[in-house]
Amino acid sequence: MKRSYLFMTIFLMLCANFGAQAQWKKEKALEDTKIWRYDVECEGIAKQGAKLVKVWSYSKNPKHAIASSMRNAVHGVIFKGYAGGGQGCTSFQPLVNDPSVEEKYKEFFDEFFAEGGEYLKYVSSATDGSIGPGDRLKVSKREYKIGAVVTVMSDQLRKRLEKENIIKSLTSGF
Amino acid sequence: MKQPKIILCLLAIFSFTIVFGQAKKPTLMIVPSDVWCIQNGYSLTFDDQGSTNKIPDYKRAFQENSEVLQVISQINGMMADRGFPLKNMESAIKTLESNSAEDNLRQSKESGSDISENPIDQLYKAAKADIIIQLTWTINKTGPKKSINFNLQGLDSYTDKQIATATGTGAPSFSAETPVLLSEAVLSHMDNFTASLQSHFDDMFENGREIIVRIQKWNDWDGDLETEYGGDELGVVIEDWLQANTVKGRFNTTDMTENMALFEQVRIPLYNDEGNAIDARRYVRDLSKFLSSAPYNIANKLVMKGLGRATIILGSK
Repeated sequence: MKRSYLFMTIFLMLCANFGAQAQWKKEKALEDTKIWRYDVECEGIAKQGAKLVKVWSYSKNPKHAIASSMRNAVHGVIFKGYAGGGQGCTSFQPLVNDPSVEEKYKEFFDEFFAEGGEYLKYVSSATDGSIGPGDRLKVSKREYKIGAVVTVMSDQLRKRLEKENIIKSLTSGF
Repeated sequence: MKQPKIILCLLAIFSFTIVFGQAKKPTLMIVPSDVWCIQNGYSLTFDDQGSTNKIPDYKRAFQENSEVLQVISQINGMMADRGFPLKNMESAIKTLESNSAEDNLRQSKESGSDISENPIDQLYKAAKADIIIQLTWTINKTGPKKSINFNLQGLDSYTDKQIATATGTGAPSFSAETPVLLSEAVLSHMDNFTASLQSHFDDMFENGREIIVRIQKWNDWDGDLETEYGGDELGVVIEDWLQANTVKGRFNTTDMTENMALFEQVRIPLYNDEGNAIDARRYVRDLSKFLSSAPYNIANKLVMKGLGRATIILGSK
């Protein structure tokens, strides 16, 4: 009887531990990308209203970098933009020109970029989540740089930000 | 019973504010550039007193080139999505032609009189828009490899300034057809174009709309811009009026002689004191009224050229 109690306790403790670990991993992934350390580059011409980008995310754990690449891509299109280059790419100015906007609308963006947040509506993986062999780089002893190709629905994203009055539409004032 | 009345009043005030709180929306139109028209053979050649001149033949370009229609249609779709449907130049040309035919046939029912039209009126009959989007593309070929050099220029009809641009060369391709390359070029450049257009609008809302004002005088008028009124020359009086009536007092006196004055970069407010949206003509009409009233009492004629160039000719109507 005593043994079964012991097994039960160990089992429950293990379950709690796994749950806590999963939560910790999520938090860790968020923490790794909290400072928005990533690079965005154009990967080609996407369909109308979308941008095809490769986002390079940094993390100690490659899985965290992959998980955060979608969030980083959306953040990049809103706040960073990218330079032009090959494959017919032209430079893209960020949707938000004023860097202080992120702080001004902190509440909205915190919710928008939260785990499972609204940002997911505006991004999809262009390569079924697989990472190219040359896109998994170990940049230091404890850090990886992972490049993921994603499609960001820039037009829909712009309309969403216009709706929140975070950015002005082309017709505002007329 | 009182409450619905109050609500109705509030609604009326609110709608009044919305209607009068908005600036006049500029019209946009895509025009194939002279370079493109001439390079592709859509031009008319005529002899102008010994020198050969070429002018673009837009009508033939629209009738015979399907690529130009594709590009215009795609840009129009993307601009309409941003709330700025463009004026279609092909339709504008057709409307002008049909209006002209109607005007030629129209007669007064009572007197049989024709429509009044002078040579200047005929000269002004052209497809117009506040912002002209000038479109140029060239196809670069190196062996079987093709790429497209694409150039979109947003030109302000008021000042002839380039206010928006997007230009670049697309990725070279061995297999893609020209329409596909053109479509890619439009997709990759439109965001930059609209971004620079947005910057222009932002500047316009902050610093006013830019126009050009010219002052001239009829030869038979006995006064000139150096005639003194209350100790100040007329030219200075006009400058003072502009100083007081432009946004942040912004304008440049480019030329000033006894016979003419040219003011450029005149920043006019988007709304008048009553909150109504105004344009260049309405703005310069106020200057015209100012000059024709006491103590100056100078009869004058206000002439608009294009949408943002106003000329006041002093002396008579």
